[in-house]
Amino acid sequence: MTPLHILRVLGLAGLATLFATGCGKSTNQPDSQTSAKSGTKSEYTFALVAKSQSNPVFQAARVGAEDAAAGLSKKLGVKITVLWRTPNEDDAQKQVEYIEQLVLQGADGISVSCSEAETLAPAINRAVDQGVAVMCFDSDAPASKRFCYHGTDDIECGHIIMRELAAVLGPGKHVVAIPGGNQNARNLQNRIKGALDEAANYPNITIRGVYYSKEVPQDAAARIEEVQTANPDIDGWGMIGSWSLFTDALLKWEPGKVKIVAMDALPAELPYLTKGVVQKLYAQQTYRWGERSVELLADKVILGKNPANVMDYSELPPVTKDDVQQYEQNWKKWLRQ
Amino acid sequence: MRFKETGLLGVLLALGLVLTISGGSLQVRDSNTGTVHTVNKFLRADNLDILAKNTSFFAIMAIGATFVIITGGIDLSVGAVYCLAAVCGAMFLHHFGPRGEGAGASPWLVVPGAILVCVGAGMLCGLINGLGVVLLRVHPFVITLGTMAIYRGVAFVMTKAQAFTAFPPQFTDGLIRYKIMWGDTNLYPVPLIIMLGVTVFAVWFLKHAVNGRYIFAVGGNEQAALFSGLPVKAIKLKVYAFSGMTAGIAAMIMLGYYGSASSDAGKGYELDVIAAAVVGGASLAGGRGTALGALLGALIIQMIGNGIVILNIDQNYSQIVIGAVIVLAVLLDRINSTLREKRLARAAQSARLSRQDET
Repeated sequence: MTPLHILRVLGLAGLATLFATGCGKSTNQPDSQTSAKSGTKSEYTFALVAKSQSNPVFQAARVGAEDAAAGLSKKLGVKITVLWRTPNEDDAQKQVEYIEQLVLQGADGISVSCSEAETLAPAINRAVDQGVAVMCFDSDAPASKRFCYHGTDDIECGHIIMRELAAVLGPGKHVVAIPGGNQNARNLQNRIKGALDEAANYPNITIRGVYYSKEVPQDAAARIEEVQTANPDIDGWGMIGSWSLFTDALLKWEPGKVKIVAMDALPAELPYLTKGVVQKLYAQQTYRWGERSVELLADKVILGKNPANVMDYSELPPVTKDDVQQYEQNWKKWLRQ
Repeated sequence: MRFKETGLLGVLLALGLVLTISGGSLQVRDSNTGTVHTVNKFLRADNLDILAKNTSFFAIMAIGATFVIITGGIDLSVGAVYCLAAVCGAMFLHHFGPRGEGAGASPWLVVPGAILVCVGAGMLCGLINGLGVVLLRVHPFVITLGTMAIYRGVAFVMTKAQAFTAFPPQFTDGLIRYKIMWGDTNLYPVPLIIMLGVTVFAVWFLKHAVNGRYIFAVGGNEQAALFSGLPVKAIKLKVYAFSGMTAGIAAMIMLGYYGSASSDAGKGYELDVIAAAVVGGASLAGGRGTALGALLGALIIQMIGNGIVILNIDQNYSQIVIGAVIVLAVLLDRINSTLREKRLARAAQSARLSRQDET
């Protein structure tokens, strides 16, 4: 046997060993999960896969998850680690890759906000099949095997925004527009549907249109300015997404001339309330998204408890001028400033 | 004016005419007198002002991109440079803004400082791109693809996903968002003025400055330019730095007008900018392109977007319409070019024939 032959045999043997080890690990995984469920593990890893790093609402969710992990670690006497795996920009394919990596890393539970439900569903199903508990937050994948969803009831949210806008506008004829954001986002489509359904209850309100744009503040603000200038008879905006309010470009609008009811109560939006350009905001509980995700995952994985409701909806409290200071304080905590 | 730009101007006028006629009119109430008057939906001061402002970012960057394209290069990082310059400027302005630690500093220092930060950051990024292209001798597509990710990543790390707001009003309302009244309409002419200023400079530079002519020489035939003793590397370096600088200028306008910036600013702008340059007649093979063409290309693209809103076309079809009109505009432009070449060929032939007759 030549040295070359010996090297080849050794190489093949090495590969066979690696293969056998890999197989062994994969067959051991369900055992590890079983032991997790029976509470014998002392360390657990949960992961948050949000839509985009550049959106502050997800940073608040991250802080909420980390705070909840610290609290529950003490309470349950185990070590809970939270991993943060989020693409820089909306990218469903990247989210799939993160979920696959997390499964390989042995994560015990994953909470994901789906950029595109259809793209994410097969990856979620594969993760669940391999014994990982997966739930959705903020943006659901209802056709997948995720065990629950926590977040805003998007259709109801659309109803609330339009109902409040109708109340703010009062009697008389009104023309209303809706900024639409990304056409592919299921949660936004649901909000638009809710808003349009609600508008049908008000014969005095005409919907001029749903105006889509990139979910980038400057692009969204540019689109709204353009639409408002082309349609000066629009006297109400039902902002099911409030990207444009992250700029101060609309602050120059005469307060009260055009009525605005919008989603979220991010720091950049609060001056709009103070100045009276926006009449009411509805705050998604973004810190709670992360906090509740860890709670639900801990219940499922560590305590073996299923959630009371598969659709675990969060509140959508209204924010007015009077609450601005409170929310400014909240954001300091949520963003660890 | 070259025939090339006249063709684009024709497309622009045709589009304007269609929008003026098809857009119809609307009734507007004068906020001072309370009287109601009818105005054209497209052809009115405030709509044209918004159109000019929306065009300014892309046109200014498209002019920089045209310089790069003329040399036969490409700058894919222009959107990321715009983002990073905006983020640097935003952090500076936030620091000296009403809620920042440096609040109360003299606006005579803060405003020029902010301009310098935006333009300087853009120029520095462009210079790094140029150094990569010249020193590493890697195709600009690859270099700028890499720096695109790097610049956006740096912007993200710097901002920690936060939007920076609360800028000194001397920079926003006092400069970029400076307001003038036109009847009872508020107009914001500064973005338009800056855009025209950059265009005039670029037109002069490409036509009359020696370095401007060198750019065409490098793009037309790099080897020939090298053997003619032209400083090819220095020219390329300057061109990428200029492209970065235009992104910095656009970022400065964006900061002043919108009063905020975050790490997702300018997402996808590189394609819009390159599209504007190409619609404006820049050849991706190099050696051809004009600053005025870039401006008109950006204006055509923005006008289509504006037209979709004016005509109330279903937003779901907007991308199809924009794409189709861009292709149509380029096609019309190519037909113009072909006709021009044929005309020139005919003129040359008749001149030859008349010379032969004389002899």
